[in-house]
Order: sequence, then C-alpha cells, then structure tokens
Amino acid sequence: MATAAASSSSRWAPKMGVFTKQFGHYLLRYATWLPPFIWFNSYVAEVTLINGPSMYPFFNAHYNERLGRDWCLVWKMGVRERLRRGEVITFRSPTDPDKVVVKRVVGIEGDRIIPKAVRVMGEGGPGRKVLYPVGMVVPEGHVWVEGDNADKSRDSNYYGPVSAGLVTGRVAYVLRGWRLVRVVPEVVGRR
Amino acid sequence: PLRLLLTSLKLLALFHLLWEYLLSLAPAQGPSMLATYPVTGTWLLTSRLHRLGRSLSVGDTVTFTIPERPNSIGIKRVIGLPGDYVLIGTPGEFWHSGADPAADDALMLQVPEGHAYLVGDNLSVSRDSRLFGPVPLALIRGKVIASMHPSFTRGPFAEFQWVQNPMRRDEPPSKEEVLNARLGR
Repeated sequence: MATAAASSSSRWAPKMGVFTKQFGHYLLRYATWLPPFIWFNSYVAEVTLINGPSMYPFFNAHYNERLGRDWCLVWKMGVRERLRRGEVITFRSPTDPDKVVVKRVVGIEGDRIIPKAVRVMGEGGPGRKVLYPVGMVVPEGHVWVEGDNADKSRDSNYYGPVSAGLVTGRVAYVLRGWRLVRVVPEVVGRR
Repeated sequence: PLRLLLTSLKLLALFHLLWEYLLSLAPAQGPSMLATYPVTGTWLLTSRLHRLGRSLSVGDTVTFTIPERPNSIGIKRVIGLPGDYVLIGTPGEFWHSGADPAADDALMLQVPEGHAYLVGDNLSVSRDSRLFGPVPLALIRGKVIASMHPSFTRGPFAEFQWVQNPMRRDEPPSKEEVLNARLGR
C-alpha cells in the first residue's frame, strides 16, 4: 500500500509539470487563431441571431409564439459597394452607434421615396404639416431602408436615409426550421 | 511552407485588427483644417478606441466616413454631441441675400440622438455638418491623438505633437459663470 501510494504520487508530480507545459503550448497555439477568427467575423461573414419583430414574417415568423429567434449568416465582404433594392442588410443604427439593425433596402441613391407617413395618411390629414408631399430623393451614398413589418419597425421612415458607410453586411442565408434558405433581393408587396 | 503562410496570415489578421480597433496612422490632406493642420504633409495618429463616437467630447478632432461618399474619410472637429444646440450656418455668412441677416445667422439645431455635428477649422472652405447635416456617431472612425510631419530630411517623427483639445473644460462651470451667462444674454 505504502509503496503503491508512494509510487503513484511520485508519478503524479512529473505529469503535472508536463500537463501545464502541454496545456500552455496548446492554449497558445489555439489562441493565435483568435485574431483571424475575429477578423473573419468582422470582415467576411458572421453567424448571428435576428432580434425583434421588425422584419416579421420574413424573420422571426414565430415571434409571438416562441422565444426562439432566427439564425442567419451575414455576408460582409463588398456589401457597401453593391447595395441593391430588396436586399436585407445589417447596419449600425443612426440613433445608437452600438446597435446593429436588420432591415430591407427599399431605395438606393437616386430613387424617389414617399415616406410612410404620407403613404398612409395621404396629405397628412387636416392641420398636419407634411414635409415631403412629393417624396424625397435618396441622396448619393445613402439607402432607404424599411422593415417588412411596417408598424413595428423603426426605420428610414423614422430617421431618414441611411448612409452606406453605416452598412455592415448583408443577410445571405437564414435558417428556417432545418433548411438553410438563401435570402434573395425581393420587394415585399410594395409600389 | 504551410506553417509560414499560416503564421503570416495570422499576423496580417492581427495587424488589421489592431489597425481597426486600436491605433492607425495615415496621411491627411485638404484645406478644411488649415488653422490646425497644413494642406498636405501631415500624418495623423488616430485612436480607434474612440470609434463609433465612444467617449468623445466637444473640441476633439475626429476621423469619420463621409456620409455622401462612404469610400472617403474626412477629418473634422466635433462641435456638437447629441442634445447640444449648434449653429447651422456660419457667423457672418448669409444664405439668402437680402433676407434678415440676424435671422439667418442665428439658425440653430439640436443635434439628434446618436449624431454629432462636425465642423472643420477653416470655416470658409470646409464641407462639414453645415453642409450635410449631423453625422451619425457610428460613422466616426477614431479620434486624432497626435500629428507629425515625416520628411526625408528630418525623419519619420518630425514635429510630433500630441493633439490637445482646445475646447475642453476640466471642471463644470461655476455658479457665477452660469448666472452671468444667463443674465448677459
């Protein structure tokens, strides 16, 4: 017994030293993969969740039924230069620089947009001053974004055209059920 | 071979991350900040820790993506933070000739939440927020913390100086100052 215990303890001590050395070695090796991983997530593609009901029913179609949110793949390379109508993009909110917002591009630079307030209320109702009765033109370098769920969406109808410099990526794929659905530019039931 | 390639790719990724999130150094040109920086030849060291408008104060010089031209980067001074009241025009210049000068000169705007009002030092030739309106804070890339004039004769760090914020107040205004300001108006 005594000899067995002594031999096991003497076997333990060297193993501990070897273990920490190996652990440190592997930790360092895998830690050096962190910058490329972060770089990839920031500049190539990222897997993320969609929060909020502003793109219902395109995203989070079960927003009122379950707590689960949609997973999606956001493609980040070369998005700013190739913005097209109908794409779903991610961008930093003009009202809160720490928040990333997901909306659909409805107008690109040069398009004439009639904001929702005018669309819904016609002339704005009696006594209400309407700022853009004939619509406004989206300025150069900007896009007009709107959420698919018109009521619950804080979008360009609230803060105006969004500069393309704020765009961080484009939602390329969304996981619906067990299928990976490619997100294609489409204009959702509009003019 | 492969390991060399992987290591250099990792180093590139690390360097890019440091450039985007920590510090970057780049040349600057243009006459819009003539009072502070010459037209060409200045290299500015920007702290990327202040990107997205974090911990900015009025008077800081910042680099930002120009709203109308997302491929260009501009350098201007922060004049207004969210909630501040700023002058839209330029003191002494009038947009509508013949109109009431006092009214034109005194048009003010409250900077909306999440935006900043950026104005260049050389007011007459600076295209800034007086032209394109308040800039979303998310477009701000960093704060200029140092400037230098590298030259072949004087070395890369010639005339290196840390940038001071000329508008900074270290203590809030005293009660007398606030009362005087209100009564004097």
